[in-house]
Amino acid sequence: MDAIIVKNLRREFKSSEGIVKRKVKNVVAVEDVSFEIRQGELFGLLGPNGAGKTTSVKMLTTLLIPNGGSASILGMDVVKDANKLRAHIGFIFGGERGLYWRLSGLDNLRYFASLYYVDSQVAKKRIPELLELVGLNGRERERVEGYSRGMRQRLHIARALLHDPEVLFLDEPTMGLDPVGARELRTAVKNLQSANKTILLTTHYMFEADALCQRIAVINKGKIVALDTPGKLKENVQDLSVVEVEVYGIPPEYIEKLKRQDWVVEVSLENRDQVQVLQVHTPKGAEAVPVLVENLNGLRLGKIITREPTLEDAYVRLVGGTE
Amino acid sequence: MERIRKNLRIMLLAFEIEMRQNLTDGFVVFGILIQPLIVAFMALWMLKGKGPDYAIFVVVGSGMTGLWTTLLFNGGNSITGERWNGTLEPLVASPASLRIVVFGKVLANVAQSLGSMIGSYLLISLILGYPLTLERPVLFVISLFFTVAALVSFGLILASFFILIPDFARMVNTLEFPIYILCGFLFPIALLPGWTTPISYLLSPYWAAQALHGAAQGSLTTVQIMGDWALMLAFSLAYILASGRLYRVILRKARADATLDIMGN
Repeated sequence: MDAIIVKNLRREFKSSEGIVKRKVKNVVAVEDVSFEIRQGELFGLLGPNGAGKTTSVKMLTTLLIPNGGSASILGMDVVKDANKLRAHIGFIFGGERGLYWRLSGLDNLRYFASLYYVDSQVAKKRIPELLELVGLNGRERERVEGYSRGMRQRLHIARALLHDPEVLFLDEPTMGLDPVGARELRTAVKNLQSANKTILLTTHYMFEADALCQRIAVINKGKIVALDTPGKLKENVQDLSVVEVEVYGIPPEYIEKLKRQDWVVEVSLENRDQVQVLQVHTPKGAEAVPVLVENLNGLRLGKIITREPTLEDAYVRLVGGTE
Repeated sequence: MERIRKNLRIMLLAFEIEMRQNLTDGFVVFGILIQPLIVAFMALWMLKGKGPDYAIFVVVGSGMTGLWTTLLFNGGNSITGERWNGTLEPLVASPASLRIVVFGKVLANVAQSLGSMIGSYLLISLILGYPLTLERPVLFVISLFFTVAALVSFGLILASFFILIPDFARMVNTLEFPIYILCGFLFPIALLPGWTTPISYLLSPYWAAQALHGAAQGSLTTVQIMGDWALMLAFSLAYILASGRLYRVILRKARADATLDIMGN
């Protein structure tokens, strides 16, 4: 059974420019997005910054009214039944905002429990359990302003679970966390799925989506460009190899020239510390290396490797291919 | 019944949370205690030739300025604070009525600002040595109760504009002194041009100031003060009834215009 049904969802924002002659234009953030999420499924919405992930989540959590299309959660429409729906969903937006910093973690949870009509006796029992779950027991009486970023993020999770929602929206929950904090949070998300919660997770970390999600929708420029299991998405690039070359200060015209080659499917560039890594997707495999080096003539090159494609490469192909 | 009990709990917690947050905010303490004392001191100086009876007028008037300033800046700005905290969205996305939450917050601000009146009383009576007597203490206390109701309901309406317009905080700066003047907090509105009188009559703080001044100085009859109560009650009920529809419309518009997560200035 589908817990979330999204049909042709659309959302525009007004943007203005100029002071004297002010021009107002409509910017489309989400355009014709459709997907279904099964009950108990952990579903990923993957996309670059500005792709429409957060806008989609805000429409599903009743914070934004769509300009078109429809969405229902547990059979309730996100616009018409917004008030009724709110008791059944929980959400976490990435970052540190969304909490009262001058209050303690415990006071934050007490307040939000009352906002979700959680009975005070139930809240008294549930709050210590959630503090234990997110590893904040013993620190709950301290002001939130003294918490680390990871602690605040874990408090967000406890807040979202106070009313034991059936559906959870996690919008980039590991954003800004250190590797240990992010790993702990991913474990917590896995545990939530084991408790049969339906979860929509947005992220731009490929490995996170790969490790956690049963299915992934890749969104770019407000449109779903692929929707499948991580394995199937990877299959889309199985016919290709990726040649990685370390370069130092590659001019844009080199990349443009490479993109025009008939043996090149996709090109991406990633900065890693002092070096840039040029990734070329090609069906030629290792045979492409001499020709690639020839195309980079005049540049200082470092290590060159050929490897199998990953989910990230599938993502780059999907997202890059539409640009 | 269960719903009413839960809403009351939300309102009381919103009240408690707002109180506790305000007590750690220096600007709030300034608005409640320091600014009314400055106003009281200046008013006493301006009115010193009018005789000792004016001292109680100044206590009540400067207390009213504290009430209004706190309501205007802290009541409304508490919504701006929610924006800055990033908690406005979680509040709106919760099943609780935002109107109930805002009511609790505004009530906390108005209750705290009663400290303005106590501060002015202590300054004028103990430090400056003016003899202060409330001519009709019972009527004064009841008037104070109606004043709180009138200001909280007015604040409920005011706060809704902070939800809809992220930059509304800047606009309210212009409302502080006109209300002091139009509502007769520190001098009678009879000193103003005649055309401003109907505007004063439409503002519930005017009737609050009239009842409080009248009860404190004994310058109004019981019937006249009861008339002020009736008007304050009528305004309060009208504002509360209007706020139900207003909040529904404003929240829908804020969700349609995507203004809930805009920080504003």
